[in-house]
Amino acid sequence: MTKGPVLLVEDDPSDARLIQRAFGKVDTTIAVFRLTNGDDVVAYLSGESPYENRTMYPLPCVVLLDIKLPRRSGFEVLQWLRRQPSAVNRLPVIMLTSSRHSVDINRAYDLGANSYLAKPETGSQLELLAAQFQSYWLALNQSPDLHGNASRLQRG
Amino acid sequence: MSVDLHLTVGTLRSYNKIIYLLAIRLLRVHDALMASPLITPPTPRPADLHSNEAFQSLIENLADYAIFVIDPAGQIASWNRAGEQLTGYTGQEVIGKHFSLFYTPADLAADKPATEMRRAEREGQVESEEWWLRKDGSRFWASVTITRILGEKNLLGFGTIVRDVTDRRLSDLRYRLLVEGVQDYAIFSLDPNGVVTSWNVGAERIKGYKPEEIIGKNFSTFYTPEDRANELPKKVLGTAASEGHFVGEGWRVRKDGTRFWSSVVVTALRDDEGHLYGFSKVTRDMTERKQLLDAIQQHARELELRIQEREESNAELEAFAYSVSHDLRAPIRAISGFAEALREDCAANLDDRGLDYLNEITNAAHRMNTLVQDLLEYGRVSRINMPLQTVSLLDAVQQASQQLGDQRRGSLEIDVAADLYVEGHPPVLTQVVLNLLTNAFKFHSKDTTPEVNVFAEQRNGRIRLNVRDNGIGIAPQHHERIWQVFERLHEREAYPGTGIGLAIVKRAVGRMHGSYGVESDVGKGSTFWIELPEASASKMGESKEAK
Repeated sequence: MTKGPVLLVEDDPSDARLIQRAFGKVDTTIAVFRLTNGDDVVAYLSGESPYENRTMYPLPCVVLLDIKLPRRSGFEVLQWLRRQPSAVNRLPVIMLTSSRHSVDINRAYDLGANSYLAKPETGSQLELLAAQFQSYWLALNQSPDLHGNASRLQRG
Repeated sequence: MSVDLHLTVGTLRSYNKIIYLLAIRLLRVHDALMASPLITPPTPRPADLHSNEAFQSLIENLADYAIFVIDPAGQIASWNRAGEQLTGYTGQEVIGKHFSLFYTPADLAADKPATEMRRAEREGQVESEEWWLRKDGSRFWASVTITRILGEKNLLGFGTIVRDVTDRRLSDLRYRLLVEGVQDYAIFSLDPNGVVTSWNVGAERIKGYKPEEIIGKNFSTFYTPEDRANELPKKVLGTAASEGHFVGEGWRVRKDGTRFWSSVVVTALRDDEGHLYGFSKVTRDMTERKQLLDAIQQHARELELRIQEREESNAELEAFAYSVSHDLRAPIRAISGFAEALREDCAANLDDRGLDYLNEITNAAHRMNTLVQDLLEYGRVSRINMPLQTVSLLDAVQQASQQLGDQRRGSLEIDVAADLYVEGHPPVLTQVVLNLLTNAFKFHSKDTTPEVNVFAEQRNGRIRLNVRDNGIGIAPQHHERIWQVFERLHEREAYPGTGIGLAIVKRAVGRMHGSYGVESDVGKGSTFWIELPEASASKMGESKEAK
């Protein structure tokens, strides 16, 4: 099975554009699908309208999730995802946010985030992040099966 | 027999019936003596008083009670030994005389003997207390009971019993003067039903009623309508009656309708045999104390409220700071990000001037980012919950020096003993040291190599950490203002910075119960110091609360 795209959840268009640019500089083959609010993420991952077509909207291999989002925050999305009865709840989620608050970091991990990254201040730092993200999460990391039912071992 | 009766007379306070019986007996004696039949006794009891001799002997021997008979005109018709002892007159001297000879000139002027006789004739009996004169002209306070003796058709005379109660009168008088004179306490008495029977000056002052306005009225008047509806007056008397006394505080109503906070003691009054004959009530106006207490409580409540508000506003500030960190930094990221993208992607289309402008943009964005970060840090140091614990000073210094990064130039010498511990908040202490180190390396002229020396001293239970540099120094007139937020001594081109670093040091050290300072002059380098309470290593892990 081919790897799904990176699902970038980012409401700030400048940040989104700079992140996408950084990924493009690292590897032009990386597919990035961007959503701008929490509700859309829930609709996308559960295959609801307008994202029913999994050929057009395949399940991602990893989610880059901002915390502060319109409608449904990154935390709410994460909590929703980890409670899904289907195997989609295994989906690796990486927080990418400007908050360096320990409260936010701890909460993200408590809710089942796989990693937590702070948005870099400069373009070169962002490019470094994109390169390391690519080599770790897209090349090294082994992706779980997201289809079928959740394991009975899943967290409550 | 006579002994029994004597006891009865002595113990019974209401001896009206006995007096009546005695009087009747007395008249019989009188009758026997005068040999003229006068009356038929209306009551046959007590049966053991049948013998005239015995009764006469009883009368004779009743110590303390002058018992005699006067005829309807007021003339003394009989006399006993107690009468002689009490007044100094023998029977011979008084029998046949008008009984007014015992009265004082003032009472005579008021026609008191005749008045009392008329009242006794009309009402059956008169009890009074008044001054009586002895034969030698001295006085005694007499308790006098005059009882009407009726024949079948006409008045036969009066039985009179007199007792010297001067001692009681004097102690009563002293007591009354005492009670009546008390200003600060309302002291008054109630009958068993709560009707006011006496009233002192304090009561008048506190409650506003004159004695004649309140005596005879029920004390429930003093209670609020709510308390009356709840039958509090009844409960108060009930408690006093069953437990001996009632103690309480509450709102009471003055004559003019205003309320006062009273502290009350109600005591049940019982006679020798335990019969309840009334209550004494002592009331104190505690309104001022109550108001004071209320004010204190009100202050306490307001203080709590203010603390709560402050906590709430702190939470709001926290949310605001969070918002600033998130929202304000996003456009800065965009500015610097796109400036870099422009430089990389479109460099071919830019001349040197264009590239220079881009540098300005990037630098400004960087400065703004630092500013936001420093402001957030300053706010955080001011507000965060800062539990103090024992911190190794050397650890804090070493961590700070590691965080210096490329700001470190020249030499850094650390001379801090490993066994020095202070009370502080570890991350904040590290931040403070970092700020001092940053300054120590920053403020140098271009041609000197920074030499920074960090050393500690123990001073009277505190530890001073010094950060000494060989930099440009600070003129003494600026030593105060450098600790203020946004205070800068140099233009940004010479020494970059936001002017917040030392303000953070000041605020943070203050919250850790410490002090700070600087010794410096222009061209002589600077020594910045902070002082914190020393902690012993054994207390490691114990925590206190910061300011």
